[in-house]
Amino acid sequence: MVTHEEILKIAKLAKLSVSADELVQLTKDMSEIIGFADTINAVSPENSDFDNINHLSNVFRDDVVAPSFDSGEILKNAPEQEDGYFLVKKRA
Amino acid sequence: MKEYGKIKKLSGLLSSRQMSCEELTRMYLDAMESENETLNAYVSYTADLALETARRVDAKAAKGEALLPLEGIPMTLKDNISTKGMETTCCSKILKGYVPIYDATVWQILQKQNAVLLGKTNMDEFAMGSSSETSCFGGALNPHDISRVAGGSSGGVASAVGGNLAVYGLGSDTGGSIRQPASFCGLVGLKPTYGAVSRYGLIAYASSFDQIGPIASSVEDAALVYDAISVYDEKDSTSRGKTEPASAALQNDIRGMKIGVAKEYFEGIRGDVNDALQQVIRVYESLGAEIVRFGMPSLKYSLPVYYILACAEASSNLGRYDGIRYGFQAEHYSDPNDMVCRTRSEGFGDEVKRRILLGTYVLSAGYYDAYYKKAQNLRGEIVNAFQGAFEQCDVMLAPTVPMTAFPRNFTAKDPVETYQTDICTVPVNIAGLPAVSVPCGFDEAGLPIGMQLIGARFCEAKILNAAYQYEAATRETTFRAAETGVRL
Amino acid sequence: MTNYELVSGLETHIELATKTKIFCSCSTEFGGEPNTHCCPVCIGLPGTLPKLNRRVVEYAILAGLATNCEISPVSKMDRKNYVYPDLPKAYQISQYDMPLCKNGWIELSNGRKIRITRIHIEEDAGKLVHQRGNTFVDYNRGGVPLIEIVSEPDIRSIDEAREYLEKLQTIMRFIGISDCRMQEGSMRCDVNISVRPAGSEALGTRTEIKNMNSFAHMTKAMDYELNRQIDLLESGEKIVQETRRYNEETECTEGMRGKEDANDYRYFREPDLVTIRVSAEEVAALKAELPELPGARMKRYTGELGLPEADAQQLARSRRIAEFFEAAADGVKNPKAAANCIIGQMFSRLSTEAEKEAFDVAITPEQLRELVMLLDAGKIRMNLVKSTLEKMLDTGKSAKEFISESDMAGLDEDALKAACEQAIAANPNAAADYLGGKEKALKAILGGVMKATRGRADAVKAEQLLIQLIKK
Ligand SMILES: [Mg+2]
Ligand SMILES: [Zn+2]
Repeated sequence: MVTHEEILKIAKLAKLSVSADELVQLTKDMSEIIGFADTINAVSPENSDFDNINHLSNVFRDDVVAPSFDSGEILKNAPEQEDGYFLVKKRA
Repeated sequence: MKEYGKIKKLSGLLSSRQMSCEELTRMYLDAMESENETLNAYVSYTADLALETARRVDAKAAKGEALLPLEGIPMTLKDNISTKGMETTCCSKILKGYVPIYDATVWQILQKQNAVLLGKTNMDEFAMGSSSETSCFGGALNPHDISRVAGGSSGGVASAVGGNLAVYGLGSDTGGSIRQPASFCGLVGLKPTYGAVSRYGLIAYASSFDQIGPIASSVEDAALVYDAISVYDEKDSTSRGKTEPASAALQNDIRGMKIGVAKEYFEGIRGDVNDALQQVIRVYESLGAEIVRFGMPSLKYSLPVYYILACAEASSNLGRYDGIRYGFQAEHYSDPNDMVCRTRSEGFGDEVKRRILLGTYVLSAGYYDAYYKKAQNLRGEIVNAFQGAFEQCDVMLAPTVPMTAFPRNFTAKDPVETYQTDICTVPVNIAGLPAVSVPCGFDEAGLPIGMQLIGARFCEAKILNAAYQYEAATRETTFRAAETGVRL
Repeated sequence: MTNYELVSGLETHIELATKTKIFCSCSTEFGGEPNTHCCPVCIGLPGTLPKLNRRVVEYAILAGLATNCEISPVSKMDRKNYVYPDLPKAYQISQYDMPLCKNGWIELSNGRKIRITRIHIEEDAGKLVHQRGNTFVDYNRGGVPLIEIVSEPDIRSIDEAREYLEKLQTIMRFIGISDCRMQEGSMRCDVNISVRPAGSEALGTRTEIKNMNSFAHMTKAMDYELNRQIDLLESGEKIVQETRRYNEETECTEGMRGKEDANDYRYFREPDLVTIRVSAEEVAALKAELPELPGARMKRYTGELGLPEADAQQLARSRRIAEFFEAAADGVKNPKAAANCIIGQMFSRLSTEAEKEAFDVAITPEQLRELVMLLDAGKIRMNLVKSTLEKMLDTGKSAKEFISESDMAGLDEDALKAACEQAIAANPNAAADYLGGKEKALKAILGGVMKATRGRADAVKAEQLLIQLIKK
């Protein structure tokens, strides 16, 4: 069972704001989903030594500089920018 | 033997100059103009680029130069594959207006082949869903019956290819998102081995599950596209590339091939789907394959394991949409933190938020061991179970979806019921295996049924050959409802 | 009144001196216009993937070896999740439960060992500039490789904290993996502090002071925090476990509100990167690459070379100085003379600490060695060494350019006697004064001898001879 408080705590971590209406529905949905996820707790798996899915190791880059992007390109999609910086504007 | 593939046929027409690439491209663009409004397969058109590429191909053909396998073939990309200079939205409000400044590796490869990109296709928001109805553009419809969904999350690709608005398309498959819509739309959909195709430029949903692959109208076409895109990429640390080309392996005899059938895949599937699969088994027996039956008990944990791990990764992958560097930004806010919260709350749809919350929950202090860690251990067990299975057989056969395409706006009683439809597709993503969905009949309403052939890691050639042999043996009956000629 | 003991541990972040960032090929060069050392990977554009810089792993292993750590044969990268504008992916790629290096230590001059829990690799964040309510973001530093060195709470005094950090700085510079400049942020540390009654083994409630960016601030912050905690305990109040910041203006530490409830980092394995495996052979190869460390060199300088502890410490402060000294002192009879030249005249020409460490000087160690050899052979005297070295440092030329054959030939008895007689004749008043009991007057005449002989005269002999001549 998932509580309102837990949903609010999780939402805060995930940077989602949840309205009072949404909270009721979300708590119900999440309880269902968590209940479903709980089915794995019926088993106690052996500690399978699962690392990465394709068992690769030591995939490295050489320390060689390549040209960076033009800052105009870097900033191209920014909702707000100023003097080459990304900007979060002050709002009233 | 009959040729079912479109790609080779079209390529032949282009290189013999029986048809110009520009003509072919215009046919598709015209069809999109008139039919996309109904199907809602495409969310953006790239007509100028398509025609420009087509003219380049024609110039090459005019000089008598040989064409590459995918050269001049009109195609589409799911809208989560980054295309430089072309809007890439994941069908989410939060990415509306986002124009990548770099190309996904698969798109780079295809550009080198002069693939003719017609436009970007619809999908569930951030690839989370199985109907493509969580798209901020509305769902893509099933060309077999427009009262039904095309499936998801790569529903737009399936709708476009099924409706002959593209010859093939690239989708992505995290828990079945290529195979399920392929199955719903009577198409061939290949989910390659994890690592076979570069993920660089694919907007991540769940990084250890995501894999790009083709949706096409024949096994041969799927194989040709797979061969082109399964190339090692130094930009993706998890990339390995293919071990052998698949299209060259399509004529191999399958007599003596051992086809594994795990009973867990058949539990709870709809009767007509089961009947279709039993018929498939008989076809394979008639082709000289041997059916091996066994059980894989750990498969029953696939769904919760998948949802826990995929959502955990998603919650992290989707943290970056904060309204600062790209995409949507909330208009009203009090301070930077409030801006981020409002941007995310207004920008993400409900299903995406649910999955972010689930993922955050299972990773958070106090729950990590009970959910994330345990699911990770079970993932290891499922990997081992498949390894054991492939000691007994060459390929495995299973249904792709326990049912056929559901009606539009189908509302499940809760999110979990919707998740259940992924039960047959998620195991291979958990284990990183290749699987191809192939049409294998129709239900009473005339909707396609799909089967999947699953292989051991990097055994794409094997499963595609098995699929090809089935297709060759049954094409006349299986395809009665879907005439798959070229647009001529 | 109870005596209290400080219990402290440091988490030190050090930027590695690689050419490129940890996960992309952008330059790590300091400075530059905002967002000009950026690419799709380091600004976290959707769909981009990290690729680990091999040198980052090598540098971190060198850091581990230099601090007596075990190198993990298997380690991995993890994601540390938190949403903040300076972190473009909303997670920092770091290492959680399988760090690259662990269980090391550093020995302090008082013989105590400060244990190092772990050293792991991670990426730096971007920079935020807050101005009139606006937040400006620059990702040039985003993705610069860091190592985080975590110590056990073994530090018992502010001096120990300072020495520990200085030792780390010296060692990391020595092995060439970082310039460790606190002002530029390439070394910074968080200090964990608690206090307990002296003699107690229990650990008190600790606070963490974040982001110390100079030795002076660290010392002041620790001093303030130590006294604050003691005052709280003395007045019977509880210490709250919290993150604090040092306010440079008030010279106080203050609580950072709002940080506490957000620190559920939801670590999990980074699925976009693969396992890091380090073989024993690779560790051995890196170990072979490791230069002799400052501690070992100091011991050699005081032992084999017989230098005073203070000199040894000065010479071992940077690899460049140590190597210069060792080359200059190679095979000489009097290494102390080489040390004196470096610590005295050569250091005095370098004004800042950074310049001293860089030790960018006009002459080669071989040129200094040649000069010291002349002294060894008795061909020239110390005062000539000094003046010659000045000229060498001005011009970059060798000693022999400034010392003639006759300089090196020294003075024979007759020449010395002639010079002394001339000096007395030139200064009859001083001679008279000396005879009258003014011992100091002799110095003026001796000065005349030295000047006339351009320093070649043996001052002791000359003085004896002058006394003889005057008294005669
Ligand atoms: Mg850190
Ligand atoms: Zn970069």
